[in-house]
Amino acid sequence: MSGPNPSIVATIVRKDLKAFARDRFYFWISVAGLVVYVVVFWVLPDTVNESITVGATGAGIETMLEKAAGEGSEGLNLVAFDSRENLETAVANGKGDVALGLAFPDDFFESVMAGRPVIVSIVATAAVPPELRTAMTSFVREAAFAISGDPLPVSLQEQILGVDRVGDQVSLREKMRPLLAFLVLLLEMMSLAGIIASEIQSRTVVAVITTPARIFDFLTAKIVFGTLLAFSQVVLLLVAIRSLSGEPLLVLTTMLLGSLMVTAFALIAGSFGRDFITVLFWSMLFMIPMMIPAFGLLFPGSASVWIKAIPTYGLVEILTGTTSYGDGWAEAVPNLALLGGWTVIAYVAGLGILRKKVRSL
Amino acid sequence: MNTSRAWTVMRNDLRLGPRSPLFLYALLLPVALTFVIVGVFGSLFAPAPRLGIVDEGNSSVVAAARSLDGIEVTVVDSVESLERLVEANDLDAGMVLPVQFDEAVRDGLRPPLQFFIGGESLASNRIVLSVSALDLVRGVKGDAAPVTVDVMTIGDAEAVPMATRMVPLLIMYAVAIAGAFVPAASMVEEKEKGIINSVLVTPASVTEYLAGKAGLGIVLAMATGVITLLLNNSLGAHGVTLILALLIAATMMAEIGLIIGTVAKDSNTLFAIMKSAGILLFYPVVFYIWPSLPQWIAKISPTYWFLQPIFEIGVKGAGPGDVWLEMLIAVAWIIAILPAVGVMARRLEQRVAMAA
Repeated sequence: MSGPNPSIVATIVRKDLKAFARDRFYFWISVAGLVVYVVVFWVLPDTVNESITVGATGAGIETMLEKAAGEGSEGLNLVAFDSRENLETAVANGKGDVALGLAFPDDFFESVMAGRPVIVSIVATAAVPPELRTAMTSFVREAAFAISGDPLPVSLQEQILGVDRVGDQVSLREKMRPLLAFLVLLLEMMSLAGIIASEIQSRTVVAVITTPARIFDFLTAKIVFGTLLAFSQVVLLLVAIRSLSGEPLLVLTTMLLGSLMVTAFALIAGSFGRDFITVLFWSMLFMIPMMIPAFGLLFPGSASVWIKAIPTYGLVEILTGTTSYGDGWAEAVPNLALLGGWTVIAYVAGLGILRKKVRSL
Repeated sequence: MNTSRAWTVMRNDLRLGPRSPLFLYALLLPVALTFVIVGVFGSLFAPAPRLGIVDEGNSSVVAAARSLDGIEVTVVDSVESLERLVEANDLDAGMVLPVQFDEAVRDGLRPPLQFFIGGESLASNRIVLSVSALDLVRGVKGDAAPVTVDVMTIGDAEAVPMATRMVPLLIMYAVAIAGAFVPAASMVEEKEKGIINSVLVTPASVTEYLAGKAGLGIVLAMATGVITLLLNNSLGAHGVTLILALLIAATMMAEIGLIIGTVAKDSNTLFAIMKSAGILLFYPVVFYIWPSLPQWIAKISPTYWFLQPIFEIGVKGAGPGDVWLEMLIAVAWIIAILPAVGVMARRLEQRVAMAA
């Protein structure tokens, strides 16, 4: 069997593009959709607040706080208050991001050193998580042990594993980057599936293949059109959210593969869909599981094995690696291979199903 | 407007609707989303500090660590596994308790305590885990602390679990799909099949036709809204006010559905509008999931003004006195949107007349 006829494919693609551009409303609403995604991206916070602000009151407490800060209490931002009333007000109102307060008695140092009973109050709202209450209780106890000259009962050997990202955590904005790019791709998958379904239902495809065009030309044209539509929109988005600065070629290659893959899934959804609602149903069937890897990025930890088996995992990993962690081609090769493999599988299934559907008309 | 004709349009849709997969979709979506979002993602959204422990002996620290409130403790079988998990950010930190650790601590031998910290762990989690771990070891030694710590709870701020903060998202899906999308899709389908022209050559006017479609959206959105709140145990103590808030939500969504259904000339356009306008309607839910974000942004969207009363009544147990202002603003939005529906109705009338 010979390959597709390039001039016939180009003619069908041109027709589809003209139809797309002629529908001004659909065209501009797609642009508006992209603009909304870009705005959402830039509105999201670009920093991570990873420190706990703790207020404290008591005579001479500032010295202890300075000492604690000097010993590298990263993650703990201690703020001194001049009275317990002010401290309680700040905690109750969340003023200055004070999560909780430590109320030391004025004779705290003298009492601890003299071995006299002493009570320190931790003031917190119900919204403060239990682990923070536990940690602050331990913090106060440990401070008292240190003042009384009682050393740590162990020889502590701390070691940081992996790249230390304190002060340089991946922000919510960064984490949303693959999800937004991915949403554009998946939504274009639904659009293309809708177009294919309507061409099947209106039997346009039958009309097309009674001309010199063959099914193969028709299918190739749909792939080119779908990929072009998805790829151009996702590239526009990536430019607008500044995601092409690190490894532009790698990101573009990944997005091209991603566009090809979602187009293949659109062929399947479009073949099964009879109308808009059934297309929506079939598209959602693919979309929901395929979005899991991108959602998974919002949470800490490595992905489970089942998430790695989802076709879109490779795409999300590459985009995150290149934009947030500075990864290059070397790190991306296994995921590119995975993405490529899934794209081939999706095409074998998509083309097979659509060809069968067209032949049945 | 003849209400009985509007009722006929709505009754017809309700009678024939269950044959459409869209009805099934609208009714099943709240159930499916509740399962997926709360069941699967709920715990992921609330990451407690995660501590791994390798116990090479039989230390009492492990049992004490497990009883710590708010800290997720995992016992790991080897130091290599612990290092791998910490480095991969599957754990925030990990500690290795060597053989006869407890005895060495009690004897004052200051045994080594390897403490691994994940590079990607938050600074706040590092401090929580390290001081908590040291306190556990102090517990083994049995020394009485030279200080008594008294924890006092003040104010009325409540801890809202992540699964609960997801409720507005579920409510939004339920009312938007059933209240806006179903009537809009129904109108578009009737346009595509030419049914709308047939309906409008009967005595039914465009206003009655739209009122019937709005009624369909309101009834469905109320049903899916109540199902969602029931599934999430969020009916609160003020049922009447909650139902009123849901009615406001359903009405606003039905209005939006009518506008979209009138503007969209085919399914593809409908979908294009939903995907762009959808984000404007849905974005306030993000501010419930992450309450530290600036809340004023959420208040720009009309949907915030019905989501807030539903959340306050259903989840936080607020009463009518606490939410009347938000409900009033939501009603004002409904009134403000109404002229747009009127304009769309006239446009639909002209289009149908031209087609005839």
